[in-house]
Amino acid sequence: MQRKKLKIKPLDIVMALLILGVAVYTAHRITGEIRYSWEWRSLPQYLLRYDAEAEAWVPNVLLKGLFMTIRLSLWGTVLATLIGTVMGLCRVSQSLFYRLLGRTYVELVRNTPPLVLIFIFYYFLSGQVMWALGVDAFVGSLSGGTRVFLELFFAPPSMFSAFVSALITLAVFEGAYITEIVRAGVQSIEKGIWEAAYALGLSRWQQLRYVVLPLATRRILPPLAGQFISTIKDSAIVSVISIQELTFRGMELMSATYLIFEVWITITALYFILTLSLSLAVERLEIYLRRSEA
Amino acid sequence: MRKGVLSWMALGILLAFAAFTGSAFGGELQQKLTEESVLEQVLKRGTLRVGVSTFVPWAMQDKTGKLIGFEIDVATRLAKDTGVKVEFVPTKWAGIIPALLTGKFDVIIGGMGILPRRNLKVNFTIPYDVTGMSIVANKDLAGNFKGLEDFNRPDVVLALRLGATPVAAARKFMPKARLRKFDDESQAVQELLNGKAHGVIASAPMPAFQALKYPDKLFLPIQGTFTKEPIGFALRKGDVDTLNFFNNWITVVQAEGWLQERKHYWFETREWEDQVK
Repeated sequence: MQRKKLKIKPLDIVMALLILGVAVYTAHRITGEIRYSWEWRSLPQYLLRYDAEAEAWVPNVLLKGLFMTIRLSLWGTVLATLIGTVMGLCRVSQSLFYRLLGRTYVELVRNTPPLVLIFIFYYFLSGQVMWALGVDAFVGSLSGGTRVFLELFFAPPSMFSAFVSALITLAVFEGAYITEIVRAGVQSIEKGIWEAAYALGLSRWQQLRYVVLPLATRRILPPLAGQFISTIKDSAIVSVISIQELTFRGMELMSATYLIFEVWITITALYFILTLSLSLAVERLEIYLRRSEA
Repeated sequence: MRKGVLSWMALGILLAFAAFTGSAFGGELQQKLTEESVLEQVLKRGTLRVGVSTFVPWAMQDKTGKLIGFEIDVATRLAKDTGVKVEFVPTKWAGIIPALLTGKFDVIIGGMGILPRRNLKVNFTIPYDVTGMSIVANKDLAGNFKGLEDFNRPDVVLALRLGATPVAAARKFMPKARLRKFDDESQAVQELLNGKAHGVIASAPMPAFQALKYPDKLFLPIQGTFTKEPIGFALRKGDVDTLNFFNNWITVVQAEGWLQERKHYWFETREWEDQVK
């Protein structure tokens, strides 16, 4: 692929000036008309603060929220991929029962608003599921070392049960989309390959396991990474059940400090930086896969 | 005839059995209730889980992300006097009662007004504080408004936090005004500053603080509060032991003067302000 040389034309400068103008005008209106008193000075301390006791810079509420968002999206995608793979294989199964199962799951989740799903899960189901899994008792019985581990990779022990229910909700929701990705991946494999595998005397499961899935995985990987980015964005929705991720932390901060615009703008920037850098990474991945395939 | 006698005997035996097991069950039930009370669970767990919602100066995060405020002081002292650790569960106001009912925490200590409608769903302790609603208004839109009756017009828009107390106050005093409800107060205040609402109704002292912060934009049409609301802890129904413990704890700290002293610190002084921003 040849990289085009960047050349700035007059029209580009006019466009850039126009965009800048709109931004300045908006800022001016907010300051002038609404008489919003900007207080950007007090914002950085909510990202990083100096801890006098530990004598070090430590992340404050907003960065902590961002980390929580990342953890939630990461584990959410892992769990959703598991659900999605199982359900995706159900969708392409030869058994009518499994196909119906997969179809019901996908249609049920995709045709209901995520917000409603989250409320239903959190208030009605999560209590029962958490109790059945014994999450609270499990967390309570942990020793000091495991607690630190838990806090680093998941959530603080006190928030763990809420974290798990948010995780399950998010995974069930995203899993439906991954199901479709897996189904499309498997169905995109040419019939001849199935037939070739069949001709070798492989059973249906062996055909899937050794021939079709390895091929399909390559095709699935880019949309799967894209779904991970969607998960990051969708994770903002669990703020309604008071999970301490970026959006919730930001809203808490706003109600304490009334720095409304500053906090929203910062949150937007944080999400944008996170997802944009991932988008670029996915683009790289796609190019890499295409090259290695050729 | 014979059949009838037999049936009567059977019924008699059944009733006797029921009475016997019933009374035995009664005793067991009492023991079970005590064991299952929130108080027992809290002591067993060693932590009191308290649901709070950010609401200046009741509960808010300071610069380090730690929770501070009147409610936080109350809950911390309550846990200390119970001999357990306190654990705060910051929760959105809109979902705080469902979260309590589904056991996400043990008690709401979050400036919740005792309202009969709410009381049908949850139990309240005796009030540990009395607050009231006050109103702050936009100078451009409502500059000539002198009192509450001026807001009672269909072209007036009031912004307030979603939930029963401010809404009830608005319905009572300005039934004709249109209400715009928000998830938290900062959004309602922003609506007012944007000039999209004539006034904001909220628990004192927030409206007064806002009027001080934006003196050329906002003003107080009336001084002080126009309603009086008792505030209590909310807990799940059917738990007499815990309710009794909380009630008596409130009576004790009130008699000590501790509650009044804390209230003065958070509501009448602004000494805590540099902890937040």
